Amino acid sequence: MSEKIKNKRIKIEDITNLPLELESQKKASQEKIGSVSEGKLKLYNQQKKNVDRFRELLSEKITRQLASSMVACVHCGMCAESCHYSLTRPDDPKMTPVYKADQIRRIFKKHIDWTGRVFPKWVKARSPVDDQDLNHLKNIVFGTCSACRRCTFNCPMGVETALLIRFARGILTDLGIVPEGVFNVSRDQWETGNQMAVTEEDYLDTLDWMKEELQEELDIPDIDIPIDKEDCDFMYTINPREIKFDPRSISHAAKIFHFAGEKWTMPKWGWDQTNFGLFSGDDRLGAYVAKNVYEAAVRLRAKRIVISECGHGYRSTRWEGYNWAEYDQNIPTESVILTLMRYIQKGMIKVDPAKNPEPVTFHDSCNLARSGDLLEAPRWVLDKVCTDYREMFPNRRENFCCTGGGGLLSMAEYRPLRLEVAKVKAEQLEATGAKLVCTICHNCVDGLTDLIKHYKLDMKVVQILELVSNSMVIRMP
Amino acid sequence: MPDLEVKGKKIELSQEGFLYNPQEWDDDVARALAKAEEGIEDMSEDHWTVINYIREYFLEKNLAPMVRKVCKNTGFPLKYIFELFPSGPAKGACKVAGLPKPDGCV
Repeated sequence: MSEKIKNKRIKIEDITNLPLELESQKKASQEKIGSVSEGKLKLYNQQKKNVDRFRELLSEKITRQLASSMVACVHCGMCAESCHYSLTRPDDPKMTPVYKADQIRRIFKKHIDWTGRVFPKWVKARSPVDDQDLNHLKNIVFGTCSACRRCTFNCPMGVETALLIRFARGILTDLGIVPEGVFNVSRDQWETGNQMAVTEEDYLDTLDWMKEELQEELDIPDIDIPIDKEDCDFMYTINPREIKFDPRSISHAAKIFHFAGEKWTMPKWGWDQTNFGLFSGDDRLGAYVAKNVYEAAVRLRAKRIVISECGHGYRSTRWEGYNWAEYDQNIPTESVILTLMRYIQKGMIKVDPAKNPEPVTFHDSCNLARSGDLLEAPRWVLDKVCTDYREMFPNRRENFCCTGGGGLLSMAEYRPLRLEVAKVKAEQLEATGAKLVCTICHNCVDGLTDLIKHYKLDMKVVQILELVSNSMVIRMP
Repeated sequence: MPDLEVKGKKIELSQEGFLYNPQEWDDDVARALAKAEEGIEDMSEDHWTVINYIREYFLEKNLAPMVRKVCKNTGFPLKYIFELFPSGPAKGACKVAGLPKPDGCV
């Protein structure tokens, strides 16, 4: 395959020298949008002493975990062998996780760590001098790492490089030094409560439409997509991409829940499980979005929150959000994959694997596998709904990123590098010989589709709700 | 930057294959985009119905329409939209209609 596609090698300076795009920020400031005037969404201000503020924030925000990741690195090089960037460009030291982390580490050494005060040259302690340096750092932390955490799992010292990356991203976000895509999505999430600025009217209209289509398709007039119903067994949340561009997944879910005899609902507000706070490093945005979901569940007295197929949404809502929001959450949260597993285990739905005869492989989303510990459940379900399941290697916690993680899909300027380093993933996919690659993350769907097209692989991406819905044996009364 | 050549004129595309300057769009550019990005050799009347609706909506609101609106106004079922544009409404139809890449997880 590597012979089939000759990538034009990207000059890394072309990435690190990308300027700060301010078009959207200018517009937001002219329009005086609420989140800007309330100080939630930060704009870049050339007049301010951004470098000083960077140092202040570094000192304010540093935690014990961050500090240990700053000092524990022994530069052994193990991370270089685990990162898809450095594996594709083995001769380029700037692609190694340690190099990327060192760009943050050197600032820490200069201002906080004692080694930088005693022998700064030895430990390469250096502070950013001007906004240009900060922009350079922005391109490294946003553009050359998908925050997949594979290097962390292979680090003998337990250095959390992705945590350092997110930390630096958060400080830069506070200074308005962010890629335009990240700014736009954060703006929409602050302003409308969802990352694609879908209005309540459009949201309800789409759900209504899906309900009608289902009723017609299955000829069952009472099949429903309930909205804001109280005291249900669970509240279902989604990725705005589902409502805006591809609501077929909502329809599959509604069909499965109906036949499982489930009492469920979707909330009118607080339905966006995705969270750009995870990618931008902005804990306040993270808190705001996660809290919308938690509060919706309390308002509706739902017994459980079920997250649709979404990697970072699952990680944010199930694991990180409680801390960002400082929220005492006692309603359990689960991924829909566990819901599906329960239905099949308990015989609540009947499935026939013969309905999915094509060879299928499974792509572990970083945020679900490495950061969410959902490793066996998707495989268990796939085994029940497909006849020809093929494992991809390496897999589970060692799987490679779809290369669109860490919010990279929303940052078009870094796409050429992302596709170049997707070679590792493309080879991994091709070696399975499967025709379908299943993933339980919407972001991975787009990341994989993108690289499949680029590397001209004969493969299609599917999601598990589609496969389960397809395999269902429905007995009409 | 990947460019598109339409009738001797160079059209600049973004890194994702979307038009860099949405005002450069015309029927020939749409045909070229459909061929290069979606593998559509001949645009059918139905392709144009979808494209023209998306284009009009974009010019009016500076926003990509929800797929619900596309289906409602063209009268096409959702499945058919995916048959017309294999990459879907966002990366397929919106691209051919000359819109910039929609924001978010797409």
